Amino acid sequence: MGDILMPMLQLQARMNLLFASGPALLDVDFKLTTGSLTGLCGPSGSGKTTLLRILAGLTMPESGLIRVGDRIWLDTAERIQLPVQQRKVGMVFQDAALFPNMTVRQNVEFAAENRRDSLVDELLSLVNLVHLADRKPATLSGGQRQRVALIRALARRPDVLLLDEPFSALDYETRQQLLHELVRLHRQFGTTTVLVSHHQDEIHRVADCILELNQGKVTAIGSPAVAGKKSAVPLRGTIQEVQVEETTTRLRIRLTDNLIALNVPSGVQEWHIGQAIVVSLDTQTLTRKAD
Amino acid sequence: MTDFDWQPLLLTFRLATTTTLLLLLVGIPLAGWLAFTRFRFKPVVEAVISLPLVLPPSVLGFYFLLAFNPTGFLGKKLLSWFDLRLLFTFEGLVVASIFYSLPFMVHPVQAGLENLPASLREASYTLGKSRRETFFRVLLPNIKPSLLTGLVLSFAHTIGEFGLVLMIGGNLPGQTRVASVAIYDEVELLHYGAANAYALLLLVISFGILLTVYAINKRWVIF
Repeated sequence: MGDILMPMLQLQARMNLLFASGPALLDVDFKLTTGSLTGLCGPSGSGKTTLLRILAGLTMPESGLIRVGDRIWLDTAERIQLPVQQRKVGMVFQDAALFPNMTVRQNVEFAAENRRDSLVDELLSLVNLVHLADRKPATLSGGQRQRVALIRALARRPDVLLLDEPFSALDYETRQQLLHELVRLHRQFGTTTVLVSHHQDEIHRVADCILELNQGKVTAIGSPAVAGKKSAVPLRGTIQEVQVEETTTRLRIRLTDNLIALNVPSGVQEWHIGQAIVVSLDTQTLTRKAD
Repeated sequence: MTDFDWQPLLLTFRLATTTTLLLLLVGIPLAGWLAFTRFRFKPVVEAVISLPLVLPPSVLGFYFLLAFNPTGFLGKKLLSWFDLRLLFTFEGLVVASIFYSLPFMVHPVQAGLENLPASLREASYTLGKSRRETFFRVLLPNIKPSLLTGLVLSFAHTIGEFGLVLMIGGNLPGQTRVASVAIYDEVELLHYGAANAYALLLLVISFGILLTVYAINKRWVIF
């Protein structure tokens, strides 16, 4: 009944992957509500990008099913495979992938159904790019480029918008600004959106659904709170081991009868063995190991 | 200087222009296919295309001579089907030149396409554009320097043809007597003045073309 009333995006896929860390099996099966903004997170090599590519039709899984609303994009059992051009997806790449030979306006027009599409002007003004419309991508800043990539993807009027770590190379300020704009555009257009990011805090803040992937498997799915944003009770523990690296410090902490590993940014605070510590548990970001 | 004639020079540039234009039609699709295909025997195709880079022109010339011979299989068919003679004719020189200069068109264009980020192609596909539209509207316009390099190298290489022309074209004025052959003839006849005129003109024109290309390519900053 819910399925009929609430059209959704359904993805089932199995695929053998080969990462630098070794082979892994991507095996996922989940549904997303239409119009949701889903944050897809997980460690690198967990299959996030592959999952987006499978949805877009750029990568073919060994077996799978993709249903968007009442349309089947992929059903390997029935030998249905909609080519990427026929799937109404908008994809924003990490490098923006703007066409260097076209101006900002031409990039957006390229995605629209026709050059006189009023949506092009609307989108340009929504992200304050009208004054840069005649500039080539090479003359834009990183943030401006990603804005163009975002509205170009929307100009396609996609059923699903896929964003593959589009803001990760940007500085903190610009990233926050773009996330804010993404949320605004998402509210306005209501496009089902999947955003990959390794900035957990940010993704939890903007997404209304979190999908966590680890080694090719979905380890959590649901609202940010359900997917383990905050623990209910802070836990007391003792630091057993400190391993300082350039950007992250790896702590091993004894919490009653468990030993947990926790990565924290280096240089923010000093840690030492034996130090008492209170951990506000975000269970999804911890690696739990037997004592 | 009395033996100097503009005809060999004009013929040389006619041959180079015709060959280059036809190479655009043949070489660009071939380069596009090679850049993105997963065909198992792609290395074989690449090796065949690159053969003129390493083979003496006389080897190519020898096999063209056999193939184009009107009494041979191919030569006979061409003659009966299309009334086309390729031995000791301008048309024959064009066909041979296309093979001879093919790597000079294919290699730069293929390298240019391969060096473009894959995301450009994929972005265009996700925006609903076909392979053909993506090729002509997104990929080719972003490898202008490679296209220009291919164009000019093919042109310049055809201008510089000698052994191949001599083998299958001979020395027919207005038909196959290109500038490089004319220089050789004039030197044989000890007409150093005429030989020098052809040689100097070829040198100046070739240098001018290459200089223009390097100057333009320097200005074309794509990314």
